[in-house]
Amino acid sequence: MDRKLTIQTYQARGLNLVVKELAAFFGGVAKNNFTIEFFTVLVPIMALWEALPRLGVVSPFLVPPPSVVAVTFWELLANHGYLGHIGISLQRFFLGLAVALAAAIPIGILMGWNLFLRRHTLPLFQMLAPIPPPAWVPITIILFGIGLPMQVFLVFLGAFYPVLFNTYQGVKDTEPRYIASARVFGASEFTLIKRVYLPNSLSSIVMGVKVGIALGLVMLVVAEMVGAHSGIGWLLVESKDFFRIDRMVVCMLTLGFIGWFLIEVMKYLETKLALWKVGR
Amino acid sequence: MIAARKITKFFSVINPQGMAEGSTAVLSVSLEIADGEFVAIVGPSGCGKSTFLEILAGLQAPTEGEVYIAGKRVLEPLPSTRREMESYQKKYRFLSPIVNSLFEDIPKFETAMIFQDYAIFPWMTALENVLFTLELRGVARQDRAYRAREYLAMVGLSGEENKYPSQLSGGMRQRVALARALSVEPKIILMDEPFAAVDAFSRHKLQEDLERIWQQTKKTIVFVTHDVDEAVLLSDRVVIFSPQPGTVRNIIDICLPRPRRYCRDRLRELKDRVMQIYQYDATGEGIEYVI
Repeated sequence: MDRKLTIQTYQARGLNLVVKELAAFFGGVAKNNFTIEFFTVLVPIMALWEALPRLGVVSPFLVPPPSVVAVTFWELLANHGYLGHIGISLQRFFLGLAVALAAAIPIGILMGWNLFLRRHTLPLFQMLAPIPPPAWVPITIILFGIGLPMQVFLVFLGAFYPVLFNTYQGVKDTEPRYIASARVFGASEFTLIKRVYLPNSLSSIVMGVKVGIALGLVMLVVAEMVGAHSGIGWLLVESKDFFRIDRMVVCMLTLGFIGWFLIEVMKYLETKLALWKVGR
Repeated sequence: MIAARKITKFFSVINPQGMAEGSTAVLSVSLEIADGEFVAIVGPSGCGKSTFLEILAGLQAPTEGEVYIAGKRVLEPLPSTRREMESYQKKYRFLSPIVNSLFEDIPKFETAMIFQDYAIFPWMTALENVLFTLELRGVARQDRAYRAREYLAMVGLSGEENKYPSQLSGGMRQRVALARALSVEPKIILMDEPFAAVDAFSRHKLQEDLERIWQQTKKTIVFVTHDVDEAVLLSDRVVIFSPQPGTVRNIIDICLPRPRRYCRDRLRELKDRVMQIYQYDATGEGIEYVI
């Protein structure tokens, strides 16, 4: 293997890998979700949703049928810059989530690893965590004003605690004999964290991130409802003021889709990272 | 050489009345093990032999007594007075005493330990498990793969390198654990009931392999087991622990030529002797030998 690898070959390999991973991801999503069993449930529901307003059983004004929702979705995209709203919402959400992960995972690992640190920090987090994140909204608005920092902070608050506690639990519950067996071979504590605690607690960290994504989305909507002039949450409140139920449904479905998609991504990541669990 | 001097280990346990109570796991055990010796520690379950082994490995601090391995002290004993306790707590405020250094891997060339339930990492393949210890030992990256394969071949695992432990049988997992322990090139291997969870056929094979590897590599092996057959078959010396609290009940030298599978009668005789000591401890009768 002394043939020189040029940048092009690396690029080609990278591209190949990306295409392969994407194909595997979407293939898996399609295979796991869009099964015949699921369609036997979905199709009647959609049919009912379409038929009931059209037949006048319920008011089509209050329950817009899917066809109307689809048209509204298209209209929002074309004339109202809906993609921009989605983009700005995602930006806020991912900033908040990134800060939450960057803070919660290391703190959780340290708390699970060391008794001294755990004794000092855990009670504080346990007392702060039960405060419902929406209760932070007023004080956040006063401290940060209305704008990106406030929205990011609220998303952060939603995602932080689930990730923190799940990481901490996963690290703390690491099988002691794995730790002991690495220690007798002279592993440093850093190696121990990297090679033993982390792989062992991976699934509970991913679990925490999934809950964090869900709560982060909740807080994104709350933040945008009370303190934003753009984004899906703001559009939702706007639609309420203009009594556009079809638009509200579009916003809700978009939020649902984002959450579902991100959780699918997490599932894929988990099987990718914890390959050793797949073979069972 | 391993020198254990008056090792005592004291636990507090909860008695049926729900009160805390003292329990002595190991009581004043002194034992010297020479280099290259194969020593088996046998005893009824719960007699503190595993605790003793963990003290030797430095995974638990003894309540009293000292362990020296090649002249170096393993772990200091736990404090016994209030004053000692305070200074101990102060000293180990941040990290517990069994913790290694924070960022630097310091391989322990003296000892390797094999646990009863394998304790190989389920998230690494057989090969990666061995690569991990080689990495801790500081073997150069390009040499690791072939060294790892070498050790896996030594325990008869060629061809299974890329399987995860969950895909391996119990006997194979124990072989991975053995390969991992050998890969550190330790002078001493401590084994805590290594073949207890393995079926009879694999155990037979593993025992033969262990004997062969021991003869090839000339390591010191301390082997904890509750299987008397295994102990008399493999070891140079059998150390018999009494039931709780664990003390050295007797030490039997076994001077039989290897391989020993063929001197059945002598093995049976030795086993009977050990069993009678057991029985005497349990019931106080049935002893024929003057010990």
